[in-house]
Formats: sequence, structure tokens, C-alpha cells
Amino acid sequence: MTGRILRNLYLAALALFIAMPMLVIVVFSFDANRFPALPWGGFTLNWHREALADAMILSAMKNSVIVSLGTAVLATVLGFSAAYLDYRYMFFGKRPLMLAVAVPPAVPVTILGMAMLAALSRTPMFGTPAGIIVCHVAIAVSFSMALIRLRLGELGPDLEAAAWNLGASPLAALWHVVIPFCKPSLIAAFCLSAAVSFDEFMVAWFVGGVNETLPVRVLNLLQGQVNPKINAIGTLVLAISLILVTLAQRFARLGGAGKETA
Amino acid sequence: MTEASLPEISAASSPPGGRGTRRARAALPLLLGLPVALWQVAFFVLPLAFLVVVTFWKVRNFRLAPAFDLANWEKVLTSTPFQRALVYTAEVALVATVLSMLLAFPAAHAIALRLSARARGRWIAFLIIPVFSSYILKVYAWQVVLSPGGLVNTGLALLGLPAADLLGGTLSLNIGLLTLTLPVVTLILTFALMGMDHSLIEAARNLGASKVQVLTQVTLPAIKPGLGLAGVTAFLLSFGDYASPVFLTGSNPPTLAILIVDTVKSGSQWPRASVIGVSMLAILALAFVLVQALTQKRKTR
Repeated sequence: MTGRILRNLYLAALALFIAMPMLVIVVFSFDANRFPALPWGGFTLNWHREALADAMILSAMKNSVIVSLGTAVLATVLGFSAAYLDYRYMFFGKRPLMLAVAVPPAVPVTILGMAMLAALSRTPMFGTPAGIIVCHVAIAVSFSMALIRLRLGELGPDLEAAAWNLGASPLAALWHVVIPFCKPSLIAAFCLSAAVSFDEFMVAWFVGGVNETLPVRVLNLLQGQVNPKINAIGTLVLAISLILVTLAQRFARLGGAGKETA
Repeated sequence: MTEASLPEISAASSPPGGRGTRRARAALPLLLGLPVALWQVAFFVLPLAFLVVVTFWKVRNFRLAPAFDLANWEKVLTSTPFQRALVYTAEVALVATVLSMLLAFPAAHAIALRLSARARGRWIAFLIIPVFSSYILKVYAWQVVLSPGGLVNTGLALLGLPAADLLGGTLSLNIGLLTLTLPVVTLILTFALMGMDHSLIEAARNLGASKVQVLTQVTLPAIKPGLGLAGVTAFLLSFGDYASPVFLTGSNPPTLAILIVDTVKSGSQWPRASVIGVSMLAILALAFVLVQALTQKRKTR
């Protein structure tokens, strides 16, 4: 059937368009040409070696690891709190609180970065990894809450009530019943928050000052001359993002959830 | 043992704690709620509120001074560069929105309604990855592909074809913006199509509706909220984007996001940069409310 062939061709074209930029980065990070061009100039690991010997890239990498790990821990804890509050309690001010958690990713990062810089510029957090972390947490907590809230929706009302009836305090029930039940989504939230922070460059650029994260380093390299090291760092960055997002999906069973509704 | 310490069997649907333990009952939600509430207020709500306040402040001797001055608003809103950038940015965002909806819909339709459950799961997994993987790198990759000495042009030269001027125009800008919007728009539309009542389509087909009729009278109306969400998301992402206009058109002409960054990075004109930022937020809020109103109507019917 031509309809089927056309459909598959269209999907293949879309997949190619989406994957293309990532493939270009990875493939040409191994190309001996100084500027990525056709024909392929031969295989080399030079750019990877140079990138790994670059002190600024190494320090950016260190910052990125600190920032994304810090963000992931805090966003997971706060995201769980918000998700559980939303699931369990009704209280005055719940809607505004949930909005304050959910909305940040919908604000353009340029504006968010400017606002956060204005707020942080008078505090000692400005220009430190801690400053980037607190801002990234405010953004990532939205994703973290969404993932954990989805999982809480699958927790039947009986399980927690059973624990209470057996004499568990709300805190004990939370610790021994709810948190173990949410564990996969907590891991997913951790990975996704880390990925969100690891890729974010506008807020990190504004708030970080001289403390560059990897994407900010890339941004600054882009403003200079053509630099084949970008492909090499890019390959690493993409690999880390890919691993984090794939892990998040595995633990959140996002693909599986799709199957259930089909 | 007192009565109060006995497990409550009847009150199974709410946490334990009877008379006199109200404070204990409120302790857990407070313990959970306060940190996240304070965090979002301190690092999200207050910075944005401060941004609004700063729009009324003055700059004296290169320093911000509190004031209530409408001059910044007047100056920015009446300035030609701002007005030009506003119109251009809105235009760019609208074009990118329409393009990404048109390109994403057929794909989402196929993924949600035609593919096997397994292939669908794989597509969803595939589409989620680019949403959370480095956008700045992808923009750079397009620069490499499209630039005068880049992959496309060196490829053309190998084939003996003349070079094409690809970088620095509407084409490269839209390629960059689509990299940002297409995966997420396709995902939203796919989920919307998966969530609709598929028997409606079957019923329409059985009643003799053509493919086009099914699409325009059944499928599209059924996923109206999804269409709205996808459209708003695409608009929001492309309206606020900084990387594509900078690296794929060379800031020429500048968008609002570029104006903000230039104003902030050049130093002292914070109030004016804030005016641009707050205006952008107002436009986005307006777009959101508008689309919400258009798509909600359907629900109440």
C-alpha cells in the first residue's frame, strides 16, 4: 500500500531530522578535519584528547557534575514533598503552591535567568555552583513532581490506610509504605532532574558568573572561533544526557504507560 | 492504654490522630510543604516579582535606585528597536508554531493510531530524548551542517553543484526552532490522539465519512485541548528562544530574547531589560489564556 510506504517514509524523515544534529556532533567529533566538512578527513581521537586536556573544559565539567547532582538530590526531595502533598492533603493555598512548582519550565529561560540573576546578584550565592543549583532546582522540581505524582496516582488508597490502621504514624506510613512504593519514580525524577540541569545553559550563564557549566562553556566556545573540541565535549554531553533520560524513562515506565492506554 | 492511642479502625481514609493531636496532624504536611513552598517562593516567585518591580526603578550613576517611574515602560514600548523586535519575534514564533504543528500532526497521527504498541512505545522513548538533551549543541550542529563551508555545501561541491546560501535566513532559523519544538509537539499530539475515544473514528467511518471528514469533524475536534497545548508550547518555546536566532541568523534581526541578553550583559540598563521581559511574559500569558478559552469551550458542551 502506498499510504503505508508514504507514512513510513515520513516518519523516517522526521526521525532523521530529529537525530541529525546529534549524529553530526558524534560522527564529526572523530573527524580529522579541523572544520567538519565532507569528505570525511579520517578517524582521530585528537579532539577528544584536546578537550580532556583543556583546563576550562575540565573545570566546567566538574561544575556541571556538582550542579546536576545537587539539583537532582534537592529536586527529587522537594518534588516528592510537593507530589505527596498534592496527593494526600487539601489545604488553603494548595493551588498557588502547585502552580509555583509546575509553572517554572513554562517561563522562557532568558527571562528566568535575568530574574534569578537580579535576585541573586546581591547574595553570596551569585557566581557559585550553589547559586546555579538553587535556580535549577526551582525549574527541575516541576518535572520531578510530575513523575512522582503519576506514580502516587497508582498507589491505591487502601495501602496507606492499612498501615495507619495497624498503628503506623503518618510519618511511619510515609517512610515504610509510600516511599518504597514510589522508589522507581524517585529514581526517574533524580535522573530527569539531573538531565534538565545538565543541559540548561541560560540560567547557568546568567547566574554562574565565572563558574561555567559545560553547556555554558559550549556557548562561550561558540561565540569564538570554530573549535573542533566542541564536537568532542558535545559527544560526552550527549552521551550523559542520553543515559540520564533513558534511565528516567526506564524507571518511570513512560513507554510502558503508553502501551496501557492503547 | 488511653482511648486516643488505640488504632482507629473507622477512620481509614484519613491519617490517624484524634482529639488533641491536631498539632501532630498538621506537622507532617507542614514539614513536607514548607521547604518546597519557601524554595519556589524564594527562587521563582520573588525573582519574577522583583523583575516587575525593577521595571519602575531608575538607574542613577550606573546603579539601580528604587523609584516609581513609568519612564522605562514609556521608553521601551515606544522605541523602534523594541517594536521591530516584538513584531519580528511574534512573527517568527507564529511561523514556527504553525510549521511544527503541520509537520508534527501527520507523524503523531501515524504513531498514535497506526503503529503497533511496541513501535509506538519506541517512538515515544525516542521523542523524549531530544526534549532533554542539549539544545545549544544541536544548534551548533545545524551551524556545521548549513554554513558556507559546512556539510551540505562541501557535499554539493563534491557533486559539482553550486553552493547554497543556507545559513543566516528564515530557513536556518526555522530549522533551529523546529529542532526545539518538533519533538515535544509531536509527543503532545501523540498523547492527545492516544487518549481520544477511538470508537468515534470507527463509528464515523462506518457511517460513511471520508478520511478528510473523519479528520476535520471527528479527530481534530476530539483532541482540541491537545492541539491547544501543543500550539502554546511551540509558541512559548520559539518566542523565548535565544540560541537559534543568535547562532543561525547571527542576531540579525534581533529577537526580544536577544535584546534582553544584550541589555543585561551590557551592564546598567536593568529596568529596560526587565520591561522587555515582563512584556514577553504578558504576551505569553495572554496567548495561554486565549488558547485555553478557545479549547475549554468544547469541554463544557
